[in-house]
Amino acid sequence: MKNNVIILGGGQAGIFAAREIRQNSSESNIKILGEENLLPYERPPLSKDFLLDKKNEEDLYFHSTDVLKNENIEFENISINKVDFENKKLFAKNDDVYSYDSLLISTGSENKKLSLDNNLKNDVYYLRNLEEAKKIKEIVSNKNKITIVGGGFIGLEIASSLSQLQKKVTVIEIGNQLMGRIIPKQIADIVQNTHIEHGNEIILNKQIEKITKKNGIYEILLNDNSLIETDFIIAGIGSTPSVKLFENTNLKLDNGIVTNQFCETSIKDVYAAGDVSNFYHPLYERNMRLESYQHAQNHGICAGKNIAGVKTEYTSIPWMWSDQFNLNLQLTGICDDYDEIIERGNDINNGVIHFFLKNKIIRGACGLGIAGKVGRDIRITSKLTEKNTIVDKQILADQNQKLNKLIQK
Amino acid sequence: MSEEIWIEVGSTDSIEEEDLIRFDHQDKTFCVYRLTDGFYATDGICTHEAVHLEDGLVMDDEIECPMHQGIFNIKSGEALSPPACEDLKTYPVKVDNDKIFIKID
Repeated sequence: MKNNVIILGGGQAGIFAAREIRQNSSESNIKILGEENLLPYERPPLSKDFLLDKKNEEDLYFHSTDVLKNENIEFENISINKVDFENKKLFAKNDDVYSYDSLLISTGSENKKLSLDNNLKNDVYYLRNLEEAKKIKEIVSNKNKITIVGGGFIGLEIASSLSQLQKKVTVIEIGNQLMGRIIPKQIADIVQNTHIEHGNEIILNKQIEKITKKNGIYEILLNDNSLIETDFIIAGIGSTPSVKLFENTNLKLDNGIVTNQFCETSIKDVYAAGDVSNFYHPLYERNMRLESYQHAQNHGICAGKNIAGVKTEYTSIPWMWSDQFNLNLQLTGICDDYDEIIERGNDINNGVIHFFLKNKIIRGACGLGIAGKVGRDIRITSKLTEKNTIVDKQILADQNQKLNKLIQK
Repeated sequence: MSEEIWIEVGSTDSIEEEDLIRFDHQDKTFCVYRLTDGFYATDGICTHEAVHLEDGLVMDDEIECPMHQGIFNIKSGEALSPPACEDLKTYPVKVDNDKIFIKID
């Protein structure tokens, strides 16, 4: 019997799942339903090389139409507005009906929005997809003063790019440090100083009270009564999993779609992968939801294997990066569950890494360096974490000693 | 026909096994690797974004870019894992009297 697989969501998790299913099953019908009329593409460059004109649209696609054709993977641009899990059907806005034997939900996540007066709803921009990136790129070309609301990864990457385009950039962050959700303060402060050195203004501990528009210029009133005048506003204040479609169904939701280590949801034959999934990680013995390039890819691949009948546990160690100016920030594992921090290095030219240990075992690490200076050590850290290695802390703390030694032991 | 140019990189013991060194020659950068079965050479800059692969991790026959974890096969140069999609150029290597040479075209 043929397996009709529908992949709902045309992002990175979706395309990598599709190709993995095909690798393991020549018989399955595989169809990706995407809300954007674009083949799956890479999102990380949107806030960086795409804004800087170092990469164009064609550079972003994971695969050409030829690859999909050769592998007999269908892609359809359609918006689904109803799901019937019991009868295994999806209903599109245009009344088309799609039946499946196996369903993968890879709908991703969506940007949180600022609460604004109705008349200003279209004045604040967000960046998640190619269309938004194109709009931002076009509009900023004739603006000078840009304000970014939110000092997280996306906001700071945009701030870095726009600074390189000679814009006067102000970042407003509600917390007392940048990237406060996951980055240690000491490392966040180095990133902050780099932004300041490049002329960006960073405002911490401030909330927006009100935004008004006068003659095409915005006035942002902060909670200390200070006023910022700006030509253009971009907000990056976090995201939420895209689960609206499933809110009144039996699908178990809790900060995304709850899945086990095999990408299986609470409903038989329904899988979820990528940003939308709150998955169980066997190594950390807890559920987590990740929004990253590596996770979308690996989780998609794992879901693809399981859909194709190759039972596979998802044990990938989380990893993510952010590039701002010439700095490369990397995180691996989890950095919020530890009883000891060990620091390696104190100069970004050679890389600075904080390791987070619990019971002498590394749980995660955060590193910052010029270009790829922390990459190798962060990657080795992932391997040590994966194997629950008890580490020699003196080697961890001494940048003159290679971490490879710890793996070989 | 152009003459073969072999450039001396250094001594064989300058590279540990399953490791690499960066080698700059004129305006070009290369990576020279020592794997379990011999020495290999590739371009020194990742094809994805301009970052030196010298800071990357060598695992078996693969080099992983230190910035975004794109992976290349060291022997063939093939790009194995996104975000790397363009292959890495490889160069012939020979060892003579415990010295490593690479052939640059």
